[in-house]
Amino acid sequence: MILSFDQVGLAYDGGPECLKDVNFSLSEGEFRFLTGPSGAGKSSFLKLIYLALRPTRGRMTLFGEDVTNADRDALPPLRRRIGVVFQEFRLLDHLTAFENVALPMKVAGVNQQQYREDVRELLNWVGLGSRMDARPETLSGGEKQRVALARALVSKPDLILADEPTGNVDPQMGEKIMKLFVELNKLGAAVIVATHDLQLVDALGKQTMRLDGGRLVEDAQPARSRGRAR
Amino acid sequence: MSTVSGIDGAIEPPRPEDLVAEKRDSARSRLVRRFSRAPLLPEAGAGGAPLTAVIAVISSLAALALAAFILIATASNAWTAELKSSLTVQVKGVDAAEIKQHLAAAVKILDDTPGVVDYRVIDSKAAGKLLEPWLGKDNASSLNVPALIELKLSAAGRAGIPALTARFEKASPAIVLDDHGGWNDRLANAARSGQALAFAVFALIMGAACAISIFAARAGLSANADVVSLLHLVGATDDFIANEVQRRFTVIGFRGSILGLAAALFLLSLFALATRARGSDGFLLPGLTVGPGLALPLLAVPIAICLVTAVAARHTVLRTLRETY
Repeated sequence: MILSFDQVGLAYDGGPECLKDVNFSLSEGEFRFLTGPSGAGKSSFLKLIYLALRPTRGRMTLFGEDVTNADRDALPPLRRRIGVVFQEFRLLDHLTAFENVALPMKVAGVNQQQYREDVRELLNWVGLGSRMDARPETLSGGEKQRVALARALVSKPDLILADEPTGNVDPQMGEKIMKLFVELNKLGAAVIVATHDLQLVDALGKQTMRLDGGRLVEDAQPARSRGRAR
Repeated sequence: MSTVSGIDGAIEPPRPEDLVAEKRDSARSRLVRRFSRAPLLPEAGAGGAPLTAVIAVISSLAALALAAFILIATASNAWTAELKSSLTVQVKGVDAAEIKQHLAAAVKILDDTPGVVDYRVIDSKAAGKLLEPWLGKDNASSLNVPALIELKLSAAGRAGIPALTARFEKASPAIVLDDHGGWNDRLANAARSGQALAFAVFALIMGAACAISIFAARAGLSANADVVSLLHLVGATDDFIANEVQRRFTVIGFRGSILGLAAALFLLSLFALATRARGSDGFLLPGLTVGPGLALPLLAVPIAICLVTAVAARHTVLRTLRETY
């Protein structure tokens, strides 16, 4: 089991709960879309998973470890097993595209000799081989998105999270990015993609879960078969 | 990754101005990367240039305080060595004849005493001449000025000073041996006070360096909150981030303290030149020459500043990260 939520609740600074009684589990190699209206709690849900926040109620396990009240020193090794594509990219402006992609490897203490080729290969793969020395300020929105994608994948994570990964790219590019997640999932990584793009979700026919008002409405049916069933 | 097909044909052509900026940036980053690894925390917000300037000023003051400590020690040693190397025998009497008689007795005792390296007799007339600048020619010669004997003893001879004093006293209470002990003690006390003051100033300056580093590290973390948060999210430990900040502060501390040391050495050289130009060389500060003897110990300043700034910044970062993130 990669991830499990048991009656998880989340409230910011003692305010009302933005996530309520969430029960959820994700096994190795699973793919889930996360949908829901704006303000439903999708980003908060992902923040819990990539350990930017802790549950204020319930119990949460990640890679088999209870992280609900885990010591902060226990979190970095778990975070290194997760690749996150943030909605707003979160690239470091003072670093080049190459250095941004290499960041998780540097942080993990991997020697540059070992990751240099992987980073180059990834940047070539996302079509940015000629812009490795470019800084984020000189990149377009789509290019930044692809650098963020390469950074999320460079450490070959066991779990990939993406928050609105197609929000800043044209429909064609969005489809390519989604297909990329599907291919990575086939290679063994579990994937959760939060998106508003229901067309893409339906086109890929993967399991979908929906958040509404902070509550998770589980839909185990792939969107395509659900459509056919209607 | 190579088994997954790439995203082809999706690259928008870069804008020409971006390519120019990129080319310039690439040349710079290649140069920077050749000499150092890219810092994960940006220069902006860490107060690099202003902090370097402040550290330079602080290091300069610390170097001057340390130089004062060393110079006082050197001067004190020279003063006491000078005083210890010679003694004075004062020979008094009610008239010139009695002074002459006592002087003969004193000289006889010195001739019989082992450990006397050398002595020079300054008789009553010669001693009176020494007072002429203050008393006037006629007045000095009319006074019954005591005769003096300038005496140099070997190390073994110095051990026999109490015995020598007793022999003089036995010969006549008018023969008095002065070993300059009172002066020596007073000078040594003054030197010790001066050194303690210089060291206190040095310690205060180090405290200021520590406080500034803490403030700058906090400000740097606050200015780079987004970067720190991202580093955490990609798996950085607090130690990793603290190492990054510590490395930055060591570089700033080294750069600033070397500049400060150079400024301090320049000021000391100017002071030494001015002292010599006034003709007072070797009087109050006999050790004041800016050579390796002074410059080498002052190298402790950049080392101390680097240590203080790096350690203070590291502890501040670790504490702030635990409190904030």
